[in-house]
Formats: sequence, C-alpha cells, structure tokens
Amino acid sequence: MSELTTGLTYDYLSAEAAPTREERIEATYAFGGSCTTLKHGMGQGCTKYNSRKFAQGGGCQLNLALGIVRTFQNSVTIIHGPLGCASNNLGVAGYSKTFRVLKQKQGTDNVWIHTNLDENDVIAGGIDKLRQAILYAEKEYRPDAIIIGNSCVPGIIGDDIDALIDELDGQISARVVPVHCEGFKSKFVATGYDSAYHGVLKKLVDPIKKQDRVNPDDIAYTTAEETERYINSKTVNLLNVGSTSYGDEFELSRLLKALGLTVRVLPLYASIDEISRISDAALNVSICATHDDYLIGHLKERFGTDYVIDTLPIGIKNTNQWLRVIARFFKLEDEVEKLIAIETAQLEEALVPFKKELQGKTVFVGGGETRIFTTAEFYQSLGMKILGLKPHNFDRFAVPMIDDIDDQEAVIDVAPGQPSEELIILNKLRPDLYVGHVGAPAWVTKLGIPNIPLFGQSLNYMGYSGAFELARKAVKSLKNTSFPKKIAANVPLPFRPEWYESNPFDNIKEAQQG
Amino acid sequence: MGTFIERAKSTCALGGAIVTISSLPRAIPIVHASGGCATMLSGTYNQASGYRGSGYCSGQMTPTSNIVEKDIVFGGEERLEEQIHHTIKVIDGDLYFVVTGCQVEIIGDDAVGVTSRFKDSKYPVLAANTPGFLGDGFKGYDVVLSTLANEFIEPKAVKDEKTVNILGIMPGQDVFYRGNIRGIQSLLNKLGIKANTFFGDGETIEKIKNYGDAALTIVFSEKYGIDTAKAFEEKHNIPYITVDLPIGGTRTDAFLHKIGERLSVEPAIIEALIAEEKQYYYSYIERFLDIYGDIDLQRYAIVSSDSNYAFPLISYLADDLGWVPQLVVVNDVTDEFSQKKYEKKFGQLGSETKPKVIFEQHTGQLLNHIRQNWKVNNNDKYYDALSPAFLIGSSLEASTAQKIGASFLPVSFPVTNRAVLDRGYTGYRGGLTLAEDLISVLVSNR
Repeated sequence: MSELTTGLTYDYLSAEAAPTREERIEATYAFGGSCTTLKHGMGQGCTKYNSRKFAQGGGCQLNLALGIVRTFQNSVTIIHGPLGCASNNLGVAGYSKTFRVLKQKQGTDNVWIHTNLDENDVIAGGIDKLRQAILYAEKEYRPDAIIIGNSCVPGIIGDDIDALIDELDGQISARVVPVHCEGFKSKFVATGYDSAYHGVLKKLVDPIKKQDRVNPDDIAYTTAEETERYINSKTVNLLNVGSTSYGDEFELSRLLKALGLTVRVLPLYASIDEISRISDAALNVSICATHDDYLIGHLKERFGTDYVIDTLPIGIKNTNQWLRVIARFFKLEDEVEKLIAIETAQLEEALVPFKKELQGKTVFVGGGETRIFTTAEFYQSLGMKILGLKPHNFDRFAVPMIDDIDDQEAVIDVAPGQPSEELIILNKLRPDLYVGHVGAPAWVTKLGIPNIPLFGQSLNYMGYSGAFELARKAVKSLKNTSFPKKIAANVPLPFRPEWYESNPFDNIKEAQQG
Repeated sequence: MGTFIERAKSTCALGGAIVTISSLPRAIPIVHASGGCATMLSGTYNQASGYRGSGYCSGQMTPTSNIVEKDIVFGGEERLEEQIHHTIKVIDGDLYFVVTGCQVEIIGDDAVGVTSRFKDSKYPVLAANTPGFLGDGFKGYDVVLSTLANEFIEPKAVKDEKTVNILGIMPGQDVFYRGNIRGIQSLLNKLGIKANTFFGDGETIEKIKNYGDAALTIVFSEKYGIDTAKAFEEKHNIPYITVDLPIGGTRTDAFLHKIGERLSVEPAIIEALIAEEKQYYYSYIERFLDIYGDIDLQRYAIVSSDSNYAFPLISYLADDLGWVPQLVVVNDVTDEFSQKKYEKKFGQLGSETKPKVIFEQHTGQLLNHIRQNWKVNNNDKYYDALSPAFLIGSSLEASTAQKIGASFLPVSFPVTNRAVLDRGYTGYRGGLTLAEDLISVLVSNR
C-alpha cells in the first residue's frame, strides 16, 4: 500500500470500461501559477474543471492505451474505427521493431488492422467488419492475443464489442481483449493506461491461488511447491512503461538483483503467457504512479499482491527513496543502505566534473508529471536552478514532489501540449536548457533554447547510471548551442507579436461551479 | 462498401485535410474534434513521411476545439466559435481552415455555419466537413483543395495560356512531394510554362488566390486530386488532364509529349528539351556503367505502393534501368473498373517481360503474393530463384524484403528509415537521384 493511493479503490472490472481519470482521481490539466499556488490549488480542489480559450492538440487516450498493448509479443491490434485512429502506427512500426530487439526480444513487426469504418457503418454499425477483422487476424497470424482498441465512432454509435467477443468465445484460440479507449471520453490521456489495463486485467491475467506472504527462512524447500513459493516470495514485477528503455530496465533490475531479489520486467514487450502469470510475485514495483496504479491496485484487491508505488527512480534522491521502500518490504534495510552507500559514492565522484559545468545554469522541464519533477530535482542537485515546470496534467501522484523544488516560486503551467503557453513562458524565462517531452523540442529550438529529450528508448535515464547519463547529456548539449541559435534566427514561430507580450495564463478559464 | 484493412498505408480524411492545410504556405488548420485527433493525425505524416516534421503550425501547435463528452451531448458549436476567435488572435496566419472530426459530425455540429460568422474577419476563414469516416487521407486532400477552388480562389475570365495548375501530388502521402513538384515545375519552366503548385517553393496564399487564371490542370494521378480538378473545371472553367508521375526518362518523355500536345507547344521545342535532359541524364548514368556491368546490377524488381507510384516506379526500373519487372502490388485501387484500367498501363513497358499486377489492400499479404508469383523451392538441387531481387515499397515492407533476401528501398508512404528534405524523383534529374539511391543500396556493404 502507499500513501499515494490512500482512499482509492479498484473494483471496476464488472463495468465495460474503466472510469475516466476525471471521475477516479482529482486532477487538473489546465493551471497556471507557481509551485506554491499549485499546491494550494490542489488542496482546494478548484483546478479540476478548468479549460482553455485557445486550445491546441493534446493526446488521445487511444494512443496511450495502444502504446501499451501493441508491445505484447505475438499479438495483433485491431483499431475499431476509421483509418485515422492510431494511424501514427505507421510512424511507430519501424522503431517498435528496433525496441523489441533492444529489449532482447524477437524483432517481429507490429501487426494492426483497421476496421475502416465509413459512412455506412456510422449508420448501420461496424460489428460485422470487426468480426471479419478478428477472424482474419486469427487465421493469418495465429496470435496469442487479439486486442481491440475501441475508437470514438463505435463509442458514440454504440457498437457492442463486448457482446461480439462473448459470441466468439471458444471459436478462436487467441484471447480477445476489449480496450475501451474512446478519445472523447477523457481530457486526461492517462485514462488510456487504465483503459488498457482494464482489458488486460479482464482477459489476460489468470487467477492465481491466493498465497499468504512467506518469510523465505520459514520454507523447508522439500517439495517443488515449496521451492516455487520460495522463488515467488523473492520475486518482484518491475512494471515498465512506454518510456523506459532497456537501459533503464537493466539498471533498475541490476539494483534489485543486488538486493537478492528475482526481477521480472513486464508487462510491456512481455509475452501473453508472462502477463497471464503476473500475479505470481511477492511485490509489484511501480516506477510511475501515473501509469500503474489502476493495474497494481486491482491486483492487490483481487489477489493480495502487495505493491510499491512511490517515486520515479530518476536522480540520486529518488532512486535511493525508491530502493528503500522496496527494501523495507523485504526487510532488507541494512542491505539497501550498503548498496546506496557504494552506489552514491561512486556516482558522486563521477558527477564532479559535470557539476562544475552545470553550476548556476537554469533549466525548465516539461512532460509527464512524475518524470519532470524527479528530473528537475536531479538537475537541481547538480547545482542548476529550476525556472519552471510544465506537467501534462497534475494529480495526487505528484503532489508530494512539489516540495522537492527549492524555489517554490518556480513557474508551473499544467498543460497537455499547449506550446503557445509554454513558449511564451520560456521566452520570458530564457532558461539555459530545456528538457522536454516528444513533440515539444522542435518549437523550443525555434525559440533558440538548447534542449534535450525527457526520455528516449535508446538512452538510460533511470537509476544511478541514468543519473550519470542525464548529467552527461545536459553538458553535451551546452557544448555547442549554435543549432538552436541559427534556427531561431531563421525559422519563425507562428505567433502574433502581441501574444509574446500577453500573460499566457489568461488563456485558462477558471472552472465554474459544478 | 469498404472492408477492414491490415496496416493501411494512409490515415483518415481529417488526417489528410490537416496535412494538406499545414503544407500550404502560412495556412492554419483549426481542428474541430476531440483533443487527440489534431496531434495524432498530423503526427502520422510528420513522422512517417521521411520526418517532414510539424512545420509552421501542425503537430502539437495545431489549434483544436478539443471537445469532450459534454460537448458531444450538448453540441460543440459555441466551443468552436471561441476557438476560431482565439486562434486568429494568437496565431499569425494568412488563411484559417476549420476541419471536422467524426465526433462532431455524428452529433451534427454545423462547423461551416459557425465559420460563416467570421466572413467579415480581416483574415479568410474557411471550413469543410472532413470526418475520418468519410474516407482515407486522399479524401481530405481533395476536400480541402476543392474547397479552396470553390470558395477562395477568385474566378478569372481571362486565362493565361502558359499557366497550369498541378494536382495529385499530396503532401506527406507523397514523401517526396516538394522535390517531385520542383522537378515538374522546372521542366515546365523550361517550356515557358508557369506552374501553380499549392505546396511548392515560393508559393503564398495570395498567389493561390489567383490560381483561377490557369489554362489547364494537370493531375499526376488517376485517383487523387480529381475532385479538385473537377471543381476547377466547373467553377473556373479550367479543363484537366491526368498523367503519370514522370519518374525518369521514359515517363518524362511521355509527360512532355502529352502536355506539349495539349498546350500546343511546338514539337521541336519539346524534342529539344528532351534531348537536352537526356544528354544531361546519360552523362551521369554513364558513370554507373562500370559497376553495373562488372558486378551485374540488373535485378528482379518488385514494387508495392499506391497507384501514384506503382506504375511510374516499375516503368523507371524496367524502361530506364533495365531491371526485370516481376511483380507490382498496388495498395489503393479497389473497384474492378479502375483496376482493369490501371492494369492496362503496364502494356506500355518496353521490357520483354511484363510484371504480374496485383491489387491488394492488406500490407501483410505481400509475402504471400511473392510466394504465389514464383515457384517455391522444394529443396531442388537446381532451383531458379527469385534472385537477385530488389523490392521498392514503404518502410512496412522492410521485413518482407529481408525474408525473401531482396535489397530494399522505401519510397512510397510510410517512410521511416530515411530522412527526406528536398529530394525528388521526377524528371530526368529525379531519375538520376533514384538511380543513385538504388545503386547506393546495392553497394552499401562494399
């Protein structure tokens, strides 16, 4: 259990779809102010229904949901919708294959099918096309799972995909998983994580025999069953996310293994068989509360599997904190302190030359809430000053992290995307370095500000080795800042001059009562 | 009646509309739909089209009404009006264009009606209905451009005999669209003909407004841009012709002869231009003759692409490069009549062998077609293999190429393992570029 999830319940599987984050968690996606005012605002709960006068492209929960399920090995994804929904699969397909290889899995292609809903289907319904698509997937690919992402059109016209799945039950060998991730349902794209895990929990996770926690020393190991219990008692599920690289997973596994634990990395890029046995573990370890609480909260309620949901292990402080919470569960407090002492001593020494370079430099971080606060905290520990943060959304999972920022007057813009606000703030603050989510750096470059990506599949960000890489990356970026300068001088941003002078937070409409 | 499609090489009408608008000079798309549509759809082309990027105002910058469930219930027109108003205040554009997604079309929002409230605005604001379920990306391209033709481009009674409009080369969906347009433009310029290109170098919204003075529309497609060409014909009295994308020498000759005839250019001028281009082309191709002959670079050629590229590509490989045209898989021609018509083109190929032409929407079926098209190896001691082979398709065909041991170059959308800037394959000069790319693949391990 964790303070972050106090009061939350996870018994939703009898419903067709997961509740939206709007319903489930107090959260905001439109807020402008500072660390101080955000903390106050969250306390008052008055930020929940804010909206914008000028809105820009955000995310779609379908995309985040499919981002999880399309990584499953030997699966086919069916997008029940017109050709546009998740058409960015076309851009993802190539590097997805590379990621599989990077993660030491088979380099297979992503396979997806669109039901290609047209005007007739909007009137008559698209269930027949979906049935054909499922049968085609089964016949052509013999997948372990066929995962259906339900888009806005069937969501609005009321296609009953669950009834179809019941009808096909027993007729095909693949497990068919409904994922209700209609984009219009939620402004919080993180709802997509819940939508995906709702389907996974319903159709892929097999029930296990509920086991009491055992102390490894109390086991006799005389039978195979006993041995299995022993292994399970030391096994942790390290829950990966779309933005964790193999380097991240390798580093975090290394640290947990150093504590004598057995580590399974899943569910992304795992096989359906591995996912079905997810509950055969002593502990679920989250590295991102925003991503995982629905999954592990449910597993705890249903199977009793304990979980750790705390911080994101980026930077020294948060990696230490993350390890300590896990170690406490296994009563490995002494061991973890030894590990931390060795690791931090080595790392601190290695960071000395980078600290000299970064001392006094300013930085602004934008992206997913838990990742940006932990990344900012690390850069701060290197002597940099945090000028501002832009979380995509903000909720209870990141509230404790606000206090980690030294300057409580640092700017906060809670916005999914919305570069028109962020760029005006950046133009005023002019940080030495910007660290941001995919989609943001190009615009920041046009402003002339050097920048590095907040995450990347071929790089290491997490754990101690990730901290070293983050420092190295920032220093490298500042070794030559010619490119953003040249771009800023020659490639315009699309804003009117008056917009640069305005207060971008005037764009946010305060919630009306109710 | 459509079917499901495995790995469709396109997006929806809204996606096509967004990429089309954002490829026009300083034009601003305003997307009336759920929050994810704008970013995700423009992201499709920004990434999968050789990393063409967000440009001036797409990707996360795209203005959108970002409607949610509440708007689906109560209607989103008010929200759209607010969004248009603020977009004009914040974003510096020469043209604003509202396009719609599935959600608002199903509930019956009148986006065009809302937009008409801005008709007295200092800036032009247009609108079109482009829900995803209307069709694929090309549909959105045609809806946007025909709206421009019908509502924005000014009628001109007098036509300029030496001006043409160019259509059918869709931004993003044609990964090399700017280079391809430039190649065509430069050929036409050499004939003293001005080309209105919408998306080419040096275009402005002001220039586009005056496209009504063209004497002819040339559509580089049998399928895409036709609706727009018809709008130019009906509204502006400009006739149109369709031609194949002129990739390399053979197709460029055919193109120049056709438009020369149509625009009454003296045959001698056409022949002189062809001679000049040919001399240039072969002065470079000559450089390849040693390596081509020394290690035998003739290949069995397989093409898997959309109809704009399929025939021109195989024609270049067969007619100009002397490769053996083995198999052509066309992904986007679905009705039988158009299929028959398209298949006839291949009779023009100069090679002794003509390719097998297959119409197939499911990308994953390519391997099956290749296997059915060539005798399987039953562990025979002497087996006539489909080798050496070269596959040109999209990035999605990479693993098929690997499985059959073929060399591979992605040219048609999506292309994610090449970065494309001003490259183009049209004209004799584009043929040189394509030859360079193909031969580079073949010598890359030396």
